[in-house]
Amino acid sequence: MNQQLLAKTFVELADNLVADFDLIDFLRLLTDRCVGMLGAGAAGVLLADRDGKLRVMAASDEQVRLLELFQLQNDEGPCLECFRTGAPVIVPDLTREVDRWPRFVTAAHRSGFGAVQALPMRLRDEVVGALNLFRATPGPFDPAATLIAQALADVATISLLQQRTTHRSTVLNEQLQTALNSRVLIEQAKGKLAERQNIDMEQAFTALRGYARSHNRRLVDVARAFIDGSEPLVGLGA
Amino acid sequence: MRPGSRSDRIQVLVAEQAARRGARAGVVDVCTAAVAALPVGGAGLSAMSRTAASHPLCSTDDISAQLEELQLTLGEGPCVDAFVRGSAVLTPDLLTGELQEHWAVFADAALEAGARAVFALPLQIGAIIPGVLDLYADVPTVLDAEQLADALAFADLATLLLLDTQIVEADPTGGGPAPERGFEDLGTYRAEIDQASGILTVQLGVGIEEAFIRLRAHAYVQGLRLADVAADVVAHRLRLSPDAEPDRTDEET
Repeated sequence: MNQQLLAKTFVELADNLVADFDLIDFLRLLTDRCVGMLGAGAAGVLLADRDGKLRVMAASDEQVRLLELFQLQNDEGPCLECFRTGAPVIVPDLTREVDRWPRFVTAAHRSGFGAVQALPMRLRDEVVGALNLFRATPGPFDPAATLIAQALADVATISLLQQRTTHRSTVLNEQLQTALNSRVLIEQAKGKLAERQNIDMEQAFTALRGYARSHNRRLVDVARAFIDGSEPLVGLGA
Repeated sequence: MRPGSRSDRIQVLVAEQAARRGARAGVVDVCTAAVAALPVGGAGLSAMSRTAASHPLCSTDDISAQLEELQLTLGEGPCVDAFVRGSAVLTPDLLTGELQEHWAVFADAALEAGARAVFALPLQIGAIIPGVLDLYADVPTVLDAEQLADALAFADLATLLLLDTQIVEADPTGGGPAPERGFEDLGTYRAEIDQASGILTVQLGVGIEEAFIRLRAHAYVQGLRLADVAADVVAHRLRLSPDAEPDRTDEET
């Protein structure tokens, strides 16, 4: 574990929480650090919608295949189990869990993953989602890395409370709804940009985020303006 | 609780109201079902637009009708804020100084009309916001987490019903979801549906709302699952063109 990188990551995350807060960009940063710092092959933050279905809020990779792997966990998989029990689910070797999660293990294998862990996102008594980490090779997870991953899951949970609220009483349910809708908005914008520039969804996401950052704007605001065509967004072909 | 049960339950409540009317389910049935299920006195729904005139679509009683008219006429109120912000505006008690300042004219007029609590829920799918569902109560009221979740589920169903009226208008013979199939997009979320909507804005040269309607219409007319059609669009196996028949770019599907 690189101590310096760890310290830098928490400083970076804290900075993002304080500045003009952009939930989706923040969560993406968090999943990227899980990959860069904790040696995960892929990571995703999943939140439960009000029907208790897990939905991806951010992933270290926007490709459909990974998103499907998360989506599949509404039927079976470590994330669903973690969400239901509120306890971490750590699977060092997925091949041993074929009976437990036949479809999930097959899909994970096809995507090149051999080990997985799911860590709960808890807000007071309520489990609101899970942080899901995938690794290519089977083998035990470093307990120190797991502790840090859980800390990152906790930071992700706290970040949900950062959504600005004015002139209204707000409950968690409604905040989650707003967060999930932000994600929908970004998917719509990705589709439009990918089709317009003939690029893939990951490249489209990177371009949208790059634009938002370089113009000091929130990703959701850029996505909305891009879809509505309500302002010139130079470089996005709008 | 079985996942998806809330959406399913809300769909049943709305379908029951429609059956009572002897008609196909519409936004008015969402309003009556919401009033029956939640601690509110009435509900109203308005079609909202940034570019065209907004207009009330339905309401369950006189007070609701007045609230819709007031907000659209004044251009202020929870419904207007919900539309602009794209998030629910929950007002447990209009009789608070801060709110009366925020909605200088509306707050007093709404109290005068007989409303004390007002909840405005945007009908929304990402950048698509075709309207707002307003609920009111004549006494100060706080919706608990379950009630709010139900209210949001009513709004989600109203969104699809409202958008689908445009499919039916475009093609009265073929459009609309088969009732027995329900609204699959309420039950399971697929990122591809949103990505495909974005893609179609470019292929069809239309706005996001129209693109989503066309995607659903294509699925209905072809008798396909929306998620499958969306996946085909995202994978470039299917292109829709503005006028012509859709092009299949991959025969194996």
